[in-house]
Amino acid sequence: MNNNEDKTLEEMTRDEKTHDERTLGETLRSQGISRRSFLKFCAATASMMAMSPAMIPKIARALEQARRPSVIWLSFQECTGCTESLTRSHAATIENLIFNTISLDYHHTLQAASGTAAEAAREAAMKENFGKYLLIVDGSIPLDNPGYSTIAGISNVDMLMETAAGAAAIIAVGTCASYGGIPHANPNPTGAVSVTDIIKDKPIINVPGCPPIPVVITGVLTQFLTFGSLPELDDIGRPMAFYGKSIHDRCYRRPFYDKGLFAETFDDEGAKKGWCLYKLGCKGPTTYNACATTKWNNGTSFPIESGHPCLGCSEPDFWDGGGFYKSISMPTENITKTVIYTAAGAAAAGVAIGAINRSRKNKAVASHSKTGIDDLSK
Amino acid sequence: MSASLEKGINALKEQVDSSVAAFFSSCVHCGVCAEACLFYTETGAPETTPINKTEPLRRIWKSEYTLFGRIGKMLGLTKKVDDQFLTEWETLVYDNCTLCGRCSMVCPVGNDIALMIRKTREGMAAAGHAPEGLIGASKRAVTIGSPMGVKLPALEAQIRHVEKDTGLSVPVDVVGAEYMVLLSSMEIMNFPEFIGAVAKIFKKADVSWTISSEAFEATNSGIQIGVSDIAAELVQRIVDAAEKLQVKTVISPECGHAYMAIRWEGPNLVGKPFNFKVRHITEVLDEFRQNGRLKITGKESQRLTYHDPCQISRRGGVIEQPRNLINMFSDNFVEMPDTGKMNWCCGAGGGVSTNERADEVRLKVFQRKKDQLDEIKPDAIVSACSNCRIYLEEGLEEYNVDIPLMSLTETLAEHLAD
Repeated sequence: MNNNEDKTLEEMTRDEKTHDERTLGETLRSQGISRRSFLKFCAATASMMAMSPAMIPKIARALEQARRPSVIWLSFQECTGCTESLTRSHAATIENLIFNTISLDYHHTLQAASGTAAEAAREAAMKENFGKYLLIVDGSIPLDNPGYSTIAGISNVDMLMETAAGAAAIIAVGTCASYGGIPHANPNPTGAVSVTDIIKDKPIINVPGCPPIPVVITGVLTQFLTFGSLPELDDIGRPMAFYGKSIHDRCYRRPFYDKGLFAETFDDEGAKKGWCLYKLGCKGPTTYNACATTKWNNGTSFPIESGHPCLGCSEPDFWDGGGFYKSISMPTENITKTVIYTAAGAAAAGVAIGAINRSRKNKAVASHSKTGIDDLSK
Repeated sequence: MSASLEKGINALKEQVDSSVAAFFSSCVHCGVCAEACLFYTETGAPETTPINKTEPLRRIWKSEYTLFGRIGKMLGLTKKVDDQFLTEWETLVYDNCTLCGRCSMVCPVGNDIALMIRKTREGMAAAGHAPEGLIGASKRAVTIGSPMGVKLPALEAQIRHVEKDTGLSVPVDVVGAEYMVLLSSMEIMNFPEFIGAVAKIFKKADVSWTISSEAFEATNSGIQIGVSDIAAELVQRIVDAAEKLQVKTVISPECGHAYMAIRWEGPNLVGKPFNFKVRHITEVLDEFRQNGRLKITGKESQRLTYHDPCQISRRGGVIEQPRNLINMFSDNFVEMPDTGKMNWCCGAGGGVSTNERADEVRLKVFQRKKDQLDEIKPDAIVSACSNCRIYLEEGLEEYNVDIPLMSLTETLAEHLAD
């Protein structure tokens, strides 16, 4: 018993040690991931991020030797959809395992600790890894009245400022953290803003989407772990590797758009034949994301493939775009208005003429003199 | 007060309503209505094209209620409605139209041309351009109570004859009877057998009925001449009598326009809904049939056809009922080529038979009916309108065709089982 107890304690101590000291490669192997699977993942990541094949060994080497970085995940005004997206994969994907191998020191939804203990964990991680930890944020931050969203009595903005101070980099996960998202939508009652609106002195990577694609999150993490650097970003802070092309450019229905074949309603022939959903409000042409190539649900499909137009969820203010089923082509709207105004004018003229005619008719009725049998001849 | 052009124009102005305006605006001048009209097909005269008969009404609509028409009127470009023009149109509106409504059925834009001609007659009559025959009939209808001048004593005499012949009683002025039966002068004077047939059937069917001594006349000259004021007065007499006798249903007899006048125009003319039902005699008889109240014996084996009276079939919708009844006593029934709602008119409806001036054209256009009959060669013709019956007989005689006419009600009564 004693031996066993000692052994267990010894193991536990060793595990605790190695937990911090083991490299990523060691951890993966201890969890039964073969080297072959690992290299496949590295190759997939490289191709996904449009890197040359020569980079695969570098990624593998870097990941092999990477130490588990400390990650603090803060959730502000959000729906937990981003966390769901990341964790609720169908199978234990290699992305999951990579994610497991980071030291997620603080995450509302996933951590076991609660209350003071939870906050203590965050403070400890911040202190131990000051200047090195990765900060992931999902949800927007209310500025009008900080009381709209607080954690352990600390307002979101205070917690962000405090935690961001020691972060090596910040990843804003989801459209809320990246651009304000749904809380930011008109009329924005809480005064919600994005991370970039508050933090100006740290590298920030926006991973927008409602929710973002899981592999995009892990891809960004991989790059950070591999090269210790930030990926190339577009003008609104998104990694070019995933957000460089529009949905439209990669859409498998693009040939129908080019031929001018459109579904006009959700149940017409065009819809059944899988024609372009542009006229049904598809925001694919103005939306930059990787859905059309990486797809969702273990690569099963993406919204357009299921027959629904793209909502444009990875774009700023997508909620205020004027309607998910309104075509982004503007001339249609103007023509409609013109027609409406013309019709209204014509209707008004018609009403006026009708009123004149009615008064003439009423006059005729008023001057009716009863026709009897003596009134039939002259 | 006497008739005047001014009154006529005012009447036409009154007749223009949203339907009329929509009809005139919609007319595409296709001329399809011409081929539907027996006055056009048998005379070939282009002026008899139905929509052309509405020209007086159209001119008033155009010059009074359309923008271009009013500008034209100011500039003196609009065609005027004057006495000379109305005289010219008088024969088209009264002599060359039976208001049969076949044109309304074929109009591709859905114009009710028959209704428009009926409305045109309002202006014609008020302007003093109604035919003498119709003016006389209207006067008799209002003063005597019947367009043919049939007074109550004449009806009473006929009732006595019928009671003597049949041994059945003919109830008069029975308060609380279920049915009040109207009669046309034509039936009283020419076909009193109809009264006997009704007495026999209603006794067998075991239902209570009555004739009103105050309003026995079913016909309505006001409808035919086109004076709603007179038509309303005549309808009011029936309404008063029905209310006085507290009957549940008023029965319109074998007469076309009488049915249309009391059932479809009636409530609109008096301006309120009736508190009794109005049914055509064949509707009532078919109801008896459905309820098993009619027991028939013996079948006619001769080849029978049915002449649809326009106002009962086409304008009234009573098409199946007479056929159901005929099939009870006939096993050799044959339809005419155009039948039911598309049947051809006898040529004498809509006041044409009352208008002596129209006799010549009436007999000319009868050719249409004769052609129809030639195709099926029936042994006898059944009808449910005594006006159709008389003028079919006259037409056939003129064309030397020997086909007897039968009243549906009378024939049915003959086949009743004892």
